[in-house]
Amino acid sequence: MRIRSYFGLWLGRATKFALRISGRSGTSLPGLVAGKLAPHLLQDLMTQLTDCVMVTGTNGKTTTTAILYAFLSEDTKWLTNRGGANLHQGLLATMLGASTLSGKLLVKKAVLEVDEATLPKITAFFHPTAILVTNVLRDQLDRYGEVDQTLRLLSEGTSYPGTALVTNGDDPLAMSLGIHRSELTYYYGFTHSPEVTTTRADVRDGAFCLLCGQELVYDYFIYGQVGSYHCPNGHFQRPVPDFGGQYDGITGQLLVEEFKSRPNPVFAIQSPVRGIFNQYNLLAAISVARVLGISPSKIQKGIVNYEAPTGRFQVFQGTPSRILALVKNPTGANSVLRAIEEDENDKVVCFIINDDDADGRDVSWLWDINIEEFFPRSVCKSWICAGTRSLDMALRLAYAGVDRNSIKVVEKLSQLVDATSVNVHTVYLLSTYTALYPLNEILREGVKNG
Amino acid sequence: MARTLRFVHLFPELLNLYADQGNLSVLMSRAKLRGIDAEIVPIKLGMKIDFDQADFVLLGGGSDREQAIVGKELLAYRQDFLNAIDGGLPLLAVCGGYQLLGEYYELPTGEKVPGLHLLEMTTRAGGQRLIGNIAIEWIKSDQGPKKTLVGFENHGGRTIHDYPPLGTVVKGYGNNGVDRKEGVQYKGIVGTYIHGPLLPKNPHLADYLIKNALRYRGFTDELDELDDQLEWRAHQRVLDRMQVTQSH
Ligand SMILES: [Zn+2]
Repeated sequence: MRIRSYFGLWLGRATKFALRISGRSGTSLPGLVAGKLAPHLLQDLMTQLTDCVMVTGTNGKTTTTAILYAFLSEDTKWLTNRGGANLHQGLLATMLGASTLSGKLLVKKAVLEVDEATLPKITAFFHPTAILVTNVLRDQLDRYGEVDQTLRLLSEGTSYPGTALVTNGDDPLAMSLGIHRSELTYYYGFTHSPEVTTTRADVRDGAFCLLCGQELVYDYFIYGQVGSYHCPNGHFQRPVPDFGGQYDGITGQLLVEEFKSRPNPVFAIQSPVRGIFNQYNLLAAISVARVLGISPSKIQKGIVNYEAPTGRFQVFQGTPSRILALVKNPTGANSVLRAIEEDENDKVVCFIINDDDADGRDVSWLWDINIEEFFPRSVCKSWICAGTRSLDMALRLAYAGVDRNSIKVVEKLSQLVDATSVNVHTVYLLSTYTALYPLNEILREGVKNG
Repeated sequence: MARTLRFVHLFPELLNLYADQGNLSVLMSRAKLRGIDAEIVPIKLGMKIDFDQADFVLLGGGSDREQAIVGKELLAYRQDFLNAIDGGLPLLAVCGGYQLLGEYYELPTGEKVPGLHLLEMTTRAGGQRLIGNIAIEWIKSDQGPKKTLVGFENHGGRTIHDYPPLGTVVKGYGNNGVDRKEGVQYKGIVGTYIHGPLLPKNPHLADYLIKNALRYRGFTDELDELDDQLEWRAHQRVLDRMQVTQSH
């Protein structure tokens, strides 16, 4: 290790200690101060890893990482950045937590959620065992510019041929990352979709051939641009997946079939998550586990350890019970709404929309959420909007046809518990990133007192 | 006679980067509430464009790749487009669509990507993207209870022209971050970098566009008042957060 890295390491550890004795639990701060002092510290620690999986993509990183961690940590110790601290400083903070003062990493295996723009910066000095790409969708335009740019970053990050790439074969953009690779490229996809929809007008940024610009032809859509597609000029098409999934919405079982292995194993997993987008996350995690050589029986055992991370359909029991779901882009929000649609009881839906940097300052994406489709199927008694952009959301609902009298705007997040203490089965709270952790606290307190 | 309006959306499959259909949904809804029989006519790539059939045209924004495809497609219709605009066709062009109205877009390499050249206007790629909330004073400030237009801008290009702007910048960047002008207003054209989308929080501009379309089609342009409390609260919230004070 470089001398400078030692100083960084000690400073980072000291910061972590100081935070702990002052009762704060900053996830990234130790990494931030250590990284400032010692730019190569992350590299010095990471290169000690013997096994490392990085999970990236637009949506589902946190859930997929948590599921994968449940499988992997069944009988071995693995590091993970729980809580979604997925930038350089967050990764460093995770590594610091498992290193000695002399810079030795005590746990040599890590499953890490990594931001799309951070990935190529890390792979410039460290090659993980495997990289998983969940999907490539429109996200926070003012941060990255455009989806093309994200694709360039991911392509750069997954270019090393010695790293296994596991990617979503049903998403043409995520799939395209595999085109120019030969070895160690694996696709997963759903061979049978629980709800095949061709009529939904979801956002389809990827619905064009990247080679010739032609609109892709779809046999069916599953969500967003994800489905069974091909270029009419024959440039590319949905690949036969290495790991094919079939989800049974009634039993909640995910059947996995390995098409390219001989003999091809078939096994079933009891899914702990809701909504089709989460079944993708589950299938993605299973695919990586299989690529790493984890047996189906160990996966079946490990899934029991899965705990929903904050805001990933996190349930707060009570009367009514409240469910907190993160929304950060239209495709994710549409997926959450579709999962809510499955609930046929009377409900309240709340949108908590902030526009800080971490949320995306541009809220035009609210107009890409398919409220028009959701509203008639929602069985929803009332709608509540909160956050700095509550009024933008209220307008969005009004222009989608929701009765203006059933839309309530509350000024403070703390008012949400009272405002939702009504006689319904479930209250759904859809929140952008910066409101998520405050809401987590408020809901936990509210349920205790209520 | 029953009033009918056709809102043409050019290439919705390509140009919908900043939720442009939000703008259309506002126009549709506000037209229908006035008993106007309105419909959205999406024109996809490869379909023939008949400007005589349009009472209003929306040209939205797309990624560079999509913008280039659209530019090429529309170039074949340039003369028709020019004629329609001379005749007063109402057109709302946002972001990339706005840039496309000009003569060219100059890349950092000096290469000039040709536009439709419907207006004597040019755009040059700048350094930093100009991103953030924006408030402008609309030049047609007699059109509603507020003089301002609010929204969000996010553009790398710097646009320059000598036409009247859509408004003068109160807070934000506008066309180029220098001359305090935002957008363009010429005949039936409204061009702007403001998305967010533009119309939900600016109902006075939405109604102005509807009136233009009605007049263009030869109907009376009278519109009943709507309950816009929510719209004006949202509009005012943006002004408050940007600390813009105004009298009206
Ligand atoms: Zn093609």
